[in-house]
Amino acid sequence: MGRLRLALRFNGWALLVVPGLAFLSVFFLVPLAVIGLRSVTDVEGPSSGWLANYADFFGTDVYLRVLGNTFWIAALCTVICAGLGYPYAYLMTIVPQRFAGLLLIVVLVPFWSSPLVRTYAWQVLLRDTGVINGFLLKSGLISEPFPLIRTTFGVLLGMCQILLPLMVLPVYAVMRQVDPEYTKAAANLGAGPFTAFRRVFLPLSIPGLLAGSLLVFVVALGFYITPALLGSPQNTMISSLIANAIQQRADFGAGSALGVILLVVTLVVLIVASRLIRFRDVFGSLESEL
Amino acid sequence: MKPVSRLSIVSIAVGLVITACTGGGSSQSAATASSGASGSTAVADICTNPPRADGKTITFAASGGSYQAAEDKAWLQPYAKLTGIQFQESEVNAYPQIKAQVDAGQVNWDVVDVGNDFGTDIDAKYLEPIDYTKVHKDELLAGFANTYRVAAITYGTVLAYNTTKTNGQVPQSWADFFDTTKFPGKRGVWDYSTGGLFEIALMADGVAPKNLYPLDLARATKKLDTIKKDLVFWQSGAQSVDLLESGEVTMSMMWNNRAYAAKNADHKPVEIQWNGQILTSDYMVVPKGSPNKDLAMNFIAWLTCKENNGNLSNIIPNGPVNKFAKPDASRIPDLPTSHVDASTAYFDDVWLGQNAKLLDDTYAAWKTK
Repeated sequence: MGRLRLALRFNGWALLVVPGLAFLSVFFLVPLAVIGLRSVTDVEGPSSGWLANYADFFGTDVYLRVLGNTFWIAALCTVICAGLGYPYAYLMTIVPQRFAGLLLIVVLVPFWSSPLVRTYAWQVLLRDTGVINGFLLKSGLISEPFPLIRTTFGVLLGMCQILLPLMVLPVYAVMRQVDPEYTKAAANLGAGPFTAFRRVFLPLSIPGLLAGSLLVFVVALGFYITPALLGSPQNTMISSLIANAIQQRADFGAGSALGVILLVVTLVVLIVASRLIRFRDVFGSLESEL
Repeated sequence: MKPVSRLSIVSIAVGLVITACTGGGSSQSAATASSGASGSTAVADICTNPPRADGKTITFAASGGSYQAAEDKAWLQPYAKLTGIQFQESEVNAYPQIKAQVDAGQVNWDVVDVGNDFGTDIDAKYLEPIDYTKVHKDELLAGFANTYRVAAITYGTVLAYNTTKTNGQVPQSWADFFDTTKFPGKRGVWDYSTGGLFEIALMADGVAPKNLYPLDLARATKKLDTIKKDLVFWQSGAQSVDLLESGEVTMSMMWNNRAYAAKNADHKPVEIQWNGQILTSDYMVVPKGSPNKDLAMNFIAWLTCKENNGNLSNIIPNGPVNKFAKPDASRIPDLPTSHVDASTAYFDDVWLGQNAKLLDDTYAAWKTK
């Protein structure tokens, strides 16, 4: 009897998931299916056949080049964010609580302002006539403007600043789960601080690092305004070509095909990643924190 | 202004003759029926005394910014006052939305101000044909009144330069734009495959404006390669102004009204070289199935009348499309239509539309190489 009541109560709560599922179905799954459909039905130009938009993609080397660049930039961003975000999150776990709060705010405040505004701010700082080059030129340290903007460096700087919170938060969430007693125990057993960190703390915090990397990587794949404003022409991202197809040419078929390809390639990357990461660990640990 | 007024008399005379000859024709009588007046006065009436439409609302979509604000002041507000009609404005005029509205049979936009890359016959299935019984095509600049669209204004894509960066030297043409030895510094260009980049490269390479089309893309990209490392790509008009004002670029391909604002509103050392300008337009279109088609056509006819078309030029330096429009004399030197000569180029919008995908792919391939 008691067990039945429990089951009923569980079912009642489970109904709360219905609005979310309905929302996702109507506003995400159905449109996604429509995009998939249009990528094979909306075929413009002389080349016909339902795979024409895809044939176009693989027949022109520019798309593959841009797709490759997109994944390259996203990968670089992930590595940089991990390199910056991991120590930062670690610092948050070892300082007193109120400093940790301050450090959290420092990460979050930029997160609350528009990426577009921040990208324009980077322009003002980085360009040839900008604040940094202006200072260096005036002080006589350089005689020609240093190429900061319109470089891959500019893109990575702008993107990593936007993406860093997506790394820091999951890493921090997992690190806080790690019982400090473990490293103390390691020390008791004769491990030095570095060994204790490497053999005990690091392996326990890896799920957070992987979760953060996943978030940063996937979100970075969709960027295009920041690379367009801070990068070189070679830094063009695939989303920028999608935007061109839809907004400039109103070519829904080609734009949809590009979107589907980006989605499929991203899913493949995630599936490969899921072989390496135990997602349940990752999101299980997040769930208890967020 | 003498020749203009003579032309205007001639055109009115021609118009009267045509009206007289076709007065019994079916298209003319349709116009007569709808406006409730005789053929010749119907055309004159719409300009000075457009039919009232109290309680009616039409939606006007344009690209926002200072341009739409000027349209509002020059055309929407006076027209609303004259006719009692109300305008609902959208600051988004995205072409995919027009297509989506028509495809879905839910047309919310009645009049849309679009760029020169939309509205040719290629887009016929999304647009209502312009009612030329109301719009006087004969008064408009040749080539700017097409089956499904009629130009509202003209603007020039011009070479603008920062006089401090050129040390007072004046670049004479697009050839100088590509000459970074004579004029050191970077060059701003619009990051848009059909925005004129290929055209200015070809002109710089010696192609006469009238021989631009079909574009020789191989030649254009080869020419662009010569200054590729000095190019700065801009995404918005505001960004082009910023690049030129700050001296980040020495010269920029730019819309003439933006260059004008840099000089006259921001008081920066910016000048325009009109030589080799590409004269083009923003067009008015009516999405197919607009529930207010007739009201939309009335408004479009009214704003292209010689009495009204110049209103906008008094606010921002876009040229009129009606040859007989009379903007204030003080505005004349800054209007692109005052600088039309043999060096002036025009986009071939039909060719550009037919080759949009090729142009986009060629552009992306060149840019990312």
